[in-house]
Amino acid sequence: MHAVRNLRLCTKDCLCLFVCPTGATDTETGQIDFAKCIDGCRLCVDACPSHAISLILETYPEPKVKESTIQKALNILLESKVSQEQLCSSVASNSEKATKALATALARSTRILAEDCARESAFMLPQSESVRQFLAELVDKPYGEDFPYDTVKRLLELL
Amino acid sequence: MTSLSSHSPGALAAICSNLAKACEKQYRTEEFQLFNTLEQYFSKHMEQSVGKHLDELTGLIQVDLNETFVTCEQLASEQGDRGTLRALTWGKKVTSIHKSLLTRYAKQGEKLLDNGDLYICEACGFIAISSETPAMCPICKAPASRFSKVQ
Repeated sequence: MHAVRNLRLCTKDCLCLFVCPTGATDTETGQIDFAKCIDGCRLCVDACPSHAISLILETYPEPKVKESTIQKALNILLESKVSQEQLCSSVASNSEKATKALATALARSTRILAEDCARESAFMLPQSESVRQFLAELVDKPYGEDFPYDTVKRLLELL
Repeated sequence: MTSLSSHSPGALAAICSNLAKACEKQYRTEEFQLFNTLEQYFSKHMEQSVGKHLDELTGLIQVDLNETFVTCEQLASEQGDRGTLRALTWGKKVTSIHKSLLTRYAKQGEKLLDNGDLYICEACGFIAISSETPAMCPICKAPASRFSKVQ
């Protein structure tokens, strides 16, 4: 477990600098030096008056696998939202002014809805078995030469 | 686990952008960028619908509101799956907002944004027409900082 600083909430009172035993909180980027941060120490988390620092886990509990009927129903909704996003994107690229702005907003909004379906069906946590399975399946797929296989392999190493 | 073969490139893009966001929230910068690379590949291979008009969206939305959401909600209620019910509650409300925006657009056309700009809630997808950033999302209660102005 290491500390992270939310830069939008940080009010620069810098009490974290006083309490950190390793100097991990004092960096030129404003973010905590994760490599120097002591596992589970949380002195800075408790000292911060603006609640801008929290702890991030290295490993998470395996999420509960959803019922396959629900996964299927969410996938149908996901595909529906994706086809709406496609329609809106194509309108956005072929129009101007208010029409373009509305189509752009609708495309982005339907993408968010599609992402939420994906999240609830099986893809909540990147470090989960279902995501690793998903990536493993991508590696085996015969996509074209332009498919970034190395990207998928690197993700499998990291997650 | 559902098989990948059933997912369109657009759905794979949404799965990857969702996972990119989940990595970003954990400050996992490399994984965030890698999932974005995948998202870009699938987005590029999304089917292109040429020459379509926003009118056509209304029919698709109506099917979601009348059927797709209803089926999902029944299943989620039976299973006591409150996470899915949460997604469906927000999703249905946002979809209804889409419908009302399209109705306004049908009436006002290019005058739709004469008195305001489009703001989108990055948490749930809610869209507002407003002269300033909304203070809070009426659907998911996210704060003003989660809103983006659509240019």
